[in-house]
Amino acid sequence: MHPPISEPDLVTLLEEADAAASRLWRRVRLPRADLDDLRQDLLLDLIRRLPAFDVRRGTMGAFAGIVLRNQASRIATRIRGERKASGGQPLSLDAPGGDGTTLADRLAANDGPAAWHGGRACTIEATDCRIDLARALGALEACDLTLCSAIAHCPVRALAGRGFGSRATIYRRLQDLRCVLAANGARAA
Amino acid sequence: MKHTTFTRTRSSRRLSEMEFAGWVGAAAPGDRIEYHRGFLAVDLIVPISGQSSPELVALSKLGIRAFWAAEQRLVHLVQERLGPNHFAYIAIARRKPKRAEVSLAALLVDADAA
Repeated sequence: MHPPISEPDLVTLLEEADAAASRLWRRVRLPRADLDDLRQDLLLDLIRRLPAFDVRRGTMGAFAGIVLRNQASRIATRIRGERKASGGQPLSLDAPGGDGTTLADRLAANDGPAAWHGGRACTIEATDCRIDLARALGALEACDLTLCSAIAHCPVRALAGRGFGSRATIYRRLQDLRCVLAANGARAA
Repeated sequence: MKHTTFTRTRSSRRLSEMEFAGWVGAAAPGDRIEYHRGFLAVDLIVPISGQSSPELVALSKLGIRAFWAAEQRLVHLVQERLGPNHFAYIAIARRKPKRAEVSLAALLVDADAA
């Protein structure tokens, strides 16, 4: 039983775990619903290793950062391994799935490869998203539509050289566009 | 079907500009949110409000975004008087204005062709 954690240290641990989970979630491109699970996994591992913390060797934040980074790396390796395994061993959709059914009968849309890789698997949700986006794009000015289509093909650095203004200007416009699109019903993916 | 249950929200902390925009996008007509409490014009003056610069910038952005949303006919902006020089600033969601839709696919194809 290690000594109780002080409140400032607990805040530090929670903040570090939040940041590490968000980084890992973006890195391995998981569905949003998995973010809380990742955070919990990282936090549990960190709490389990707290007895090893030595105040003479550094701050709690530094200790938490290193532990979380290592655990995040292990989780990322595991997830990539699972993906590689599932992608590297194709199964026939006609393979028996039990009870006289085939594998295709037992697979839901959410079990598809798109869902494994963090993509949108639900066709209804995808359709809703497309309608929302079309409506929100209709609220934009012509110059903003031009920027939207250009940003889909070029990085900001390239756009800055093509008459869209400086990089700072482009980032400011993008920040404004995010708000305009959100206010018109386009949700973040 | 008529929407009869309106939600009224008051955040325990200050909303960011993006959070307010997200609420506007998701709100049903009649839903309302209190986005500021105080005296907005005075709260934006540094020596009086006593707020730090980042907080003032965030509050200013929020106020501008609320006004923008009202100009775009996305919300009504109203105030409720709570006391002397103390108001609740409330945004009430309106029915979304009808506009011509723009297909993302068409937009990207046009950009490719250009």
